[in-house]
Amino acid sequence: MARERTSNMSSWRQFKAILKKDIVMELRTKEMLTSMGLYALLVLVVYYITLSQAGADFEVRRIAAGLLWLVFIFTSLLGLNRSLVHEKDQGCLDALLISPTDRPVIFFGKAVGNLIFLLIVEVMIVPLFFFIFLSRPGAASGGPMWMLALALLVGSIGIAGVGTLLATMSVNTKGKDFILAVLFIPIMFPLLLAVVAASAAVLQADPGYVNTYWQMMGIAAGYDAVMLLAAFALYEFVLGA
Amino acid sequence: MKQLKIAVVLVLIGGVLTTVAFLMAFYTAEVQQFGTVTFDAPIETVFPVAPDQLQPAEGIAYVRPWFSQKIFYFHVPVAEASFLVLIISAIFAVRFLMTKRAEYDTKSRIAMETSLVFVVLTMITGVLWTKASWGVWWEWEPRLTTYFIMMLMMIAYFVLRNSIEEEERRATYAAVFAILAAINAPLSFMITRVIPSNHPVVFQPGMASSNLMPFIVAQIGMLMIGYGIYVSRMSEERLRERVEIAKETLEG
Repeated sequence: MARERTSNMSSWRQFKAILKKDIVMELRTKEMLTSMGLYALLVLVVYYITLSQAGADFEVRRIAAGLLWLVFIFTSLLGLNRSLVHEKDQGCLDALLISPTDRPVIFFGKAVGNLIFLLIVEVMIVPLFFFIFLSRPGAASGGPMWMLALALLVGSIGIAGVGTLLATMSVNTKGKDFILAVLFIPIMFPLLLAVVAASAAVLQADPGYVNTYWQMMGIAAGYDAVMLLAAFALYEFVLGA
Repeated sequence: MKQLKIAVVLVLIGGVLTTVAFLMAFYTAEVQQFGTVTFDAPIETVFPVAPDQLQPAEGIAYVRPWFSQKIFYFHVPVAEASFLVLIISAIFAVRFLMTKRAEYDTKSRIAMETSLVFVVLTMITGVLWTKASWGVWWEWEPRLTTYFIMMLMMIAYFVLRNSIEEEERRATYAAVFAILAAINAPLSFMITRVIPSNHPVVFQPGMASSNLMPFIVAQIGMLMIGYGIYVSRMSEERLRERVEIAKETLEG
């Protein structure tokens, strides 16, 4: 009993150490957040360019959920790749493998780190997105913001979890970021479809949107549960290879 | 070599069965009321133009002879075979991760190849049917979308394999991805099903046996062809391995 307790404690400590390593490194270099944040900003500019000729009566709100998720898909692809490339280039992953760290702990440490960075970028980008694209006076307003936040959170958990597994595979290939995109998008398809539908329901707030929202969130949560479990179980093999 | 003979025999029998099913589809199967469409009057002729009840209220009318339905007897068996072979590939992938024996990796890869052949066939027949029946080549309709995603995952599997040089790592990553793909296929199937679809649901109570027979024959034939492809590719791999070994011995 006592022994089990110590091993739990040490897993928790290992987890905190891995997470802390990522955060300290980020605080020193500020590389992940600058690159992800700047990239997201640039995507917003690209949105402006693509929508610039759509005309004054074009309602951006109809496609806002898709646009919002598009930023985060691209940004997370960039972030996931960078986060694992660091590990590999500096030999950190090898060092972690040599150290007596439990493999599942490595997975959770990396995944939670990626999740935190993605969430920070989302917190920065979402208000900006609203400010730039959805603040036209007199435009229709959407549902409650916490619902959108929940959709973003559930989506990000899936992206960070499964994305960490896929990125760990892709950094060891010749194509790196290209391979990550090829693996990531089809595997993420159900989740992205569900969270975009849920976010769109909130943003458009058509009658009966609450039902659609919860139905889609149910699917997204189901995806997260199943795929995170699979990623968790398979991560050990990926690290071992 | 014995296996290769079995494979050839299976492909031949499978080919005969599919041809029989094809002929049955045209000469014995009734024109069926499909899925979302309902109409009362029986249809007598073998090659009818779609009846008035089936003409859509708006959009493109069915002007061609109602051949498009015949594609069902090919399309659905192929699609089901592709799902089955994908699952078999994932099972081999699990076996590989458990045992780390290279033979399971090869089996998983060959099964994935076979499945990709079926997926491509399904896509081609599906697109033909869509054009004939809905008047468009492609529509982002749940069943089509899911299938498209499945094809992308299989292509990604081979892209992944090609970009890794170390053999054990390639095998492991490929196995992991095959398992993810097999878990993901039903999930994306489910999510797209939540959205209302106009893809016909053919298997309903009261399906005429003249429709069911060619379908079953085609399904068995298709599975035989699939197994035949799989076995012949496997024996090709084995031969290649033997050639490699022979080369190494000669050089060494």
